[in-house]
Amino acid sequence: MLCTKCGSRNVIIHRRYSGQYLCKECFIKAIQKKVLKDIKKYKLIKKSDKVLVALSGGKDSTTVLDILSILAERNIIELEVITIDEGIGDYRKKGIEYASKTCKELGIPQHIFSFKKHFKVTIDEIMASKPPRKACTYCGVLRRWIINKEAEKLGADKIATGHNLDDEVQAIVMNYLEGNIENLIRIGPTTYSQKFVTKIKPLREIPEEEVTAYAMAKGLNVHLEECPYRKTSFRKKIGTILTKLSEDHPTILYSTLRGHEKIRKALKKELEGESILRACIRCGQPAAQDLCRACTLLNEIGG
Amino acid sequence: MKFTLIIDDEKKTMKFREKLTIKDVLKNFNIPLEAVVIKKNGEIVIEEEQVDDGDIIEVIKVIYGG
Repeated sequence: MLCTKCGSRNVIIHRRYSGQYLCKECFIKAIQKKVLKDIKKYKLIKKSDKVLVALSGGKDSTTVLDILSILAERNIIELEVITIDEGIGDYRKKGIEYASKTCKELGIPQHIFSFKKHFKVTIDEIMASKPPRKACTYCGVLRRWIINKEAEKLGADKIATGHNLDDEVQAIVMNYLEGNIENLIRIGPTTYSQKFVTKIKPLREIPEEEVTAYAMAKGLNVHLEECPYRKTSFRKKIGTILTKLSEDHPTILYSTLRGHEKIRKALKKELEGESILRACIRCGQPAAQDLCRACTLLNEIGG
Repeated sequence: MKFTLIIDDEKKTMKFREKLTIKDVLKNFNIPLEAVVIKKNGEIVIEEEQVDDGDIIEVIKVIYGG
């Protein structure tokens, strides 16, 4: 097989959804071009924005940082990193080591915050107490709480996360299957709220397989271990089904994403009422009810 | 003929007789193409790549998270 773009024999990827074969150089360029184009198309970043990358050390966030550093090198944006230590045994320790090494190499300031310091409890301790919910619920909600709070303190204009195409489609299918139709409105390239720093997803249209291949092809320093709590998650079950379906239907992730974009507009018109946010009575962070979601969960587990 | 397969940090020596591609190897282990990135002798390759005697094939699973 020859590279569709330059004719090289050293092909490293076959994009079954488009029929393209690409060599290492053309693949790296294609990913960077697509991400930078999406940043423009969806107006994810403005000139001079201070962008805070939520970096775990894994393939997705490291790839986001790598591509955004192109904009930082051109002095278009200011780039910093936030890393959260949720307290997941050796898994997280290793991830932080990878993340810190990457920041050092790129000369990007890194801010590390922990669940232990903020909430006086780690994910391992929460799960050891046999709580009513799955680890991913506590982890996701509490991590977002710290990121929102600290991003504001750090004066960030945007928070960039590593969500890829597979993550987005999994979220669409999960929310649909669970009947969380209101959540479907919130899934998109940006998460904007007047009360929080805007979150952006530059890799939203890049398949997970290609994010992995990009990190490998560029020789990025990434932590490839799977979170021990992920094995039991609903997301993993949905992800496995979608990957299996993609074998015979290679365009299915893109068609689901595009379909959601159309439905989202209609749902927005039909369902969206501006939910009034107030200050959480416990932590002062924006909340839809008396307690924010993080404090509700902490209350449940007696934290 | 033989090749070395590295999967989940585990090394296996695999024997084969006839023409074999990466796609055949993945099929044998029931691994979907979209779930992995494959390296042959340290270089990323596509599923059509042929496996030759003495090759080291590394299966890198596309893991959620990060």
